[in-house]
Amino acid sequence: MIGFLIQRVLQALMVIVAMSVLVFLGVYAIGNPIDVMIDPASDQALREALIHRYGLDRPLIEQYFVFMNNMLHGDFGESFIYRLPVIGLIWSRFPATLELALTAMMIATCLGIPLGLWAGYKPDSWSAKAIMTFSVLGFSVPTFWVGLLLIMTFAVELGWLPSGGRGPVSNVFGLKLSIGSLEGWSYIILPAFNLALFKLGLLIRLTRAGTIEVMSSDYVRFARAQGLSEGKVVGLHVLKNISIPIVTVFGLELGSTLAFAVVTETVFNWPGMGKLIIDSITVLDRPVMVAYLILVVFLFVLINLVVDLVYGQLDPRIRVKAAS
Amino acid sequence: MKLNFKLGGALAAALLLGTALGGAVSAQTLTMGVRAGPDSIDPHWSTLGSQAETLRHVFDTLVMADENLNMKPGLATSWKPVDDTTWEFKIREGVKFHDGSELTAEDVKFSIDRIPVVTGPMSMTIYTKQVKETKVVDKYTLHVITKVAAPTLPNDFIRLFVVSKSVGMDARNEQFNSGKAAIGTGPYKFVSWEPKGDFVVERFDGYWGEKQPWAKVIRKEIPNDPARMAALKSGQVDLVNYVPATDYASMQKDKSVDTFVADSVYFFDLYPNQKETLPKPVKVDGKEITANPLRDPRVREAMDLAIDRKTLVRVVLEGLGRPANQLMPTHFFGGSKNLPERAYDVAKSKKLLADAGYPNGFEIDFFCTNNRLPGDGAMCEALSQMWARAGLKVNANALNGTVFFPAQQKGEFPMWMSGWGTLTGEASYTYGSLVHTADPSTGLGAFNKQGYSNPEVDKLLQEGSRTMDDTKRRALFEKATEISMNDRALIPMVQLQTVWAAKKGALTIPARVDQETLAYEIKPKS
Repeated sequence: MIGFLIQRVLQALMVIVAMSVLVFLGVYAIGNPIDVMIDPASDQALREALIHRYGLDRPLIEQYFVFMNNMLHGDFGESFIYRLPVIGLIWSRFPATLELALTAMMIATCLGIPLGLWAGYKPDSWSAKAIMTFSVLGFSVPTFWVGLLLIMTFAVELGWLPSGGRGPVSNVFGLKLSIGSLEGWSYIILPAFNLALFKLGLLIRLTRAGTIEVMSSDYVRFARAQGLSEGKVVGLHVLKNISIPIVTVFGLELGSTLAFAVVTETVFNWPGMGKLIIDSITVLDRPVMVAYLILVVFLFVLINLVVDLVYGQLDPRIRVKAAS
Repeated sequence: MKLNFKLGGALAAALLLGTALGGAVSAQTLTMGVRAGPDSIDPHWSTLGSQAETLRHVFDTLVMADENLNMKPGLATSWKPVDDTTWEFKIREGVKFHDGSELTAEDVKFSIDRIPVVTGPMSMTIYTKQVKETKVVDKYTLHVITKVAAPTLPNDFIRLFVVSKSVGMDARNEQFNSGKAAIGTGPYKFVSWEPKGDFVVERFDGYWGEKQPWAKVIRKEIPNDPARMAALKSGQVDLVNYVPATDYASMQKDKSVDTFVADSVYFFDLYPNQKETLPKPVKVDGKEITANPLRDPRVREAMDLAIDRKTLVRVVLEGLGRPANQLMPTHFFGGSKNLPERAYDVAKSKKLLADAGYPNGFEIDFFCTNNRLPGDGAMCEALSQMWARAGLKVNANALNGTVFFPAQQKGEFPMWMSGWGTLTGEASYTYGSLVHTADPSTGLGAFNKQGYSNPEVDKLLQEGSRTMDDTKRRALFEKATEISMNDRALIPMVQLQTVWAAKKGALTIPARVDQETLAYEIKPKS
């Protein structure tokens, strides 16, 4: 177990170093951030002075090592644009993205798995076909378009829900979340549903495929022969056996939702991390871009670690292998 | 920062509930859906347009600008040159800061001294670079001594925000963002803000100017165009700025909204690279040639004649623009009323190309942004089609601004299109930077990347920048405008217009040429 953890941490470090080099090179290749930010009324002397002040005239390798050295001391630097510590800036956006991602994953899971089970359990029924049609829509229709459609329907035409932004926040487990109040929910429900659609389609199809396969296996036949109720057969034996791919996809999707909910956050004006990174990219705010991407790598490594641990719980065979 | 966030969120939401569920404009709260906001609450941090626009609610400037960018008294009631290098500013008496202290010349001096210490990458020093030192003569009189004669100093001070001396030299963005140092003399007191989030202010009852109709103002930053328009239609905000051209067309049929259109200071201009050799040679009949055809005035004129500006406005901008014949509005200081409208004549264009030795035209690469100003990418495509009619093969490349600007700075483009806004309302700002020969020693021609150089224009601009007499200076700049435009140092194309929209019959919004959305100029319709 310990060996496994150490191996994972080492892997993570390597990925982080590789990532930081790539991002640094990439941003360097795009060009000088000062040229994007500078006011058109500036003269040449001011431009030179600014480039010098932000250390952009130094060789790339030196800039990189200064950055890495600071990072190893826990200092990710300050944003060019806001002159605020990057970590504080990202952290202040984190609760908004976290609750949006979790709500979306909850919607996707709570709807997707039961619907997928049903579609796999009765694959020939018309309801199963309807579910499958819906799932295709879920990942083929572009997110921004569905988002706008939701806004037009529920906010503009019906006027039931706000068109965007985040509701009042309250303190939930030490985080500033908006899901603590009913009004907060009125703000989160549309973006969360929009974000959930793709994952919903994916989970339905994944669950259905697994269910169809498992339903024809011997142990289901034996369980039925044993006289177990259908509920127990499906809920206990089938669900447990199809859960490995579902957990894998759930983990990956959670990670990508947290890191890249950009489109939904933009359409619904949700003040999350995705919007921060996009805004930073358009102005080449290098400290924010690099720090953010490094944090994302860290996040993915963490989620994958949790997923691996959950496998062990779900499937004793994996536990045995890891131990040996 | 965290406390601030919570307070702002709760307050904004409480107020939002009022407007969203109430459905109508409340006479007390104004909620604005805007495309962009500030980067900091420190007014000396950045020259960003949306930064100035936002902070004008909390801080006043020494000189103010009306909707056509004419100067008017702000915290200074009057100003006059005492000698060639000294400006005297009379400071308004009886002005109170939000903390109750009184404004004096000391605060103004402090603000000028503070700028070089705290300003960021969009450096505010461009507005104080002419200042050598400041002297407090008495409580309400300030002398600003300039390095050389500086007739445009008052124009620069339209962006000189005055902060209270009590905040001290050590206050930085954090102290301002938390509200601790955000002490101004403006019509509204700072309540809360977070980067890219809502900016909330409330009425300051001790304000020296007109009493404000709004008890509370919320600026919600909604950069995504459809999302901003939806926020207006769903009643979440009372007004929006930067209505896209397509929405403007449909809004005119919509009975629930009012629209307000204004000419803006932003122009699309074409930059033909006139250096000895082009960064990428042009091709004639498929073969690269070493000469730069754009150095020939006939070729530049031919390119100009092939541009159908009326069609560009009608098709690309959906009518929201005007054909342009110079780089800024004609009524600005130094703009010329003598220049004719630019003609559209493909036959003449072809003839000029033939005269210049390119009867079969040539092939050239052309660059523009695709995410900075409305219609920029589409404009680029349309232009290359128009030039095709004159026999030129122009390869249009619309790039993201993050890629475009560094490459433009490095001089990698043979020809490009870019937007320019004359934010100070006078010619030296624009012509000094774009058409004067690039000269790092004087700081002139800093953005003259197309390599135009005309000693006569340089002389006029330099003389103008030293002439204190307004009439003489105006004549010099007009002359410089006329010569450089006839030379086609760069080719002006269209002036953009801006649109605001509000709920029907609820508000009056002044049409500002600088595109600023200022709550204190917006009045409820009664």
